Amino acid sequence: MVEAPVKVRHNEGWINCKISIEDEQIIIPAPVSQTIVLKNIVDLQEKKNTLTIYLKDKTEIRLVSVEKVLFVIKHRILMKCSAYRLMAFFMSPAIRGGVLITNAAWEKGAIVVLKSDIWFVTPGKQICIPLTDVSGIEMTKREVDGKKQDVVRIDHLEDQGLVSSFVLTQLSTLQILYNFLSEITAGLSVEGADLDSMDQQIAMLVYSGMDSSTIQNMLQLTFKDIDRIYDKLINLNMAEVKEIRREIHLTAKGVRYITDATKSGTN
Amino acid sequence: MGRILIVDDTMFMRTLLKNILFSGGHEIVGEAADGTEAVAKYQDLKPDLVTMDVVMPKMNGIEALKEIKKMDPGARVVMCTAVGQEQMVKLAIKSGARGYVVKPFQAPKVLDEVKNVLAS
Repeated sequence: MVEAPVKVRHNEGWINCKISIEDEQIIIPAPVSQTIVLKNIVDLQEKKNTLTIYLKDKTEIRLVSVEKVLFVIKHRILMKCSAYRLMAFFMSPAIRGGVLITNAAWEKGAIVVLKSDIWFVTPGKQICIPLTDVSGIEMTKREVDGKKQDVVRIDHLEDQGLVSSFVLTQLSTLQILYNFLSEITAGLSVEGADLDSMDQQIAMLVYSGMDSSTIQNMLQLTFKDIDRIYDKLINLNMAEVKEIRREIHLTAKGVRYITDATKSGTN
Repeated sequence: MGRILIVDDTMFMRTLLKNILFSGGHEIVGEAADGTEAVAKYQDLKPDLVTMDVVMPKMNGIEALKEIKKMDPGARVVMCTAVGQEQMVKLAIKSGARGYVVKPFQAPKVLDEVKNVLAS
């Protein structure tokens, strides 16, 4: 049993206490007086140093603590909660923003799929991928120790960039993981997204970080053409409006101002 | 900042890379659309770095990389390839590539990789 100092949300306030983390449960002392059976936990969310635990009966428990303590709590929960869990090798992240991470290594640990996130867990590492950020799941092959091995590739967005992770285990388990992840991310399918080559080029340029003016110059398009394709991407939920810029021209007053400024040598 | 030769068989990717690298302050000294042209241009231009597509007509990127390394063992080449072709990494690294980017890529990541390779 481990005791850990936390703040627990209780009756619209925060209570300082020491929770007991046991093999199968977490005990919160009075005045909260609650026992959380780990196998009744169905989801876990972390924002900064606040951990929200979701139980089968739909109750939510919020804890605040330092990173070190939350790491221990999360580890115990992730290894015992109600989730799809398998032991495997994973490499995460393996590719970030299109650049292969050359020192990425295979690590042995648990892959835990909860209601809202996929977690990669080792005794010293916890990587959380929100399911809403998953952009692709693929069964593919990757060279491991000189042999081509079957792996599941999970692509997700992080800071607007694409990050890829790989999971390696026996084929039958990989197939189950792939099917499971495909099913829970089915809403993210891009089937039916009918993009022509120009739409695809624009999508790729946007992903690469090009702004509208650069895209216009590169592809020799009018702003109206670009706007039409942006609308298409937005309507397909493939893009969001980041900002709206304006083009202006000067009025007579503005022209007078810059003419005078030029004359007086201030510009 | 470096003098860079861009090698890719699609004008779209060459233009995209040109924009990205130019925005990072690099000088684009030339472009090539296949491996044969890349080797010839490398000999002519002696760039500080080459971005090299893998799948190209006439001579592919790996073969072009090997030819360039034969001419100049110190050549800095960053390979560019599409998603799903990462198994080419080992082959490219074995053949002397210094870096690797996977399409689609983001400008800051490409610039970081180019900066690292130029510094190596």
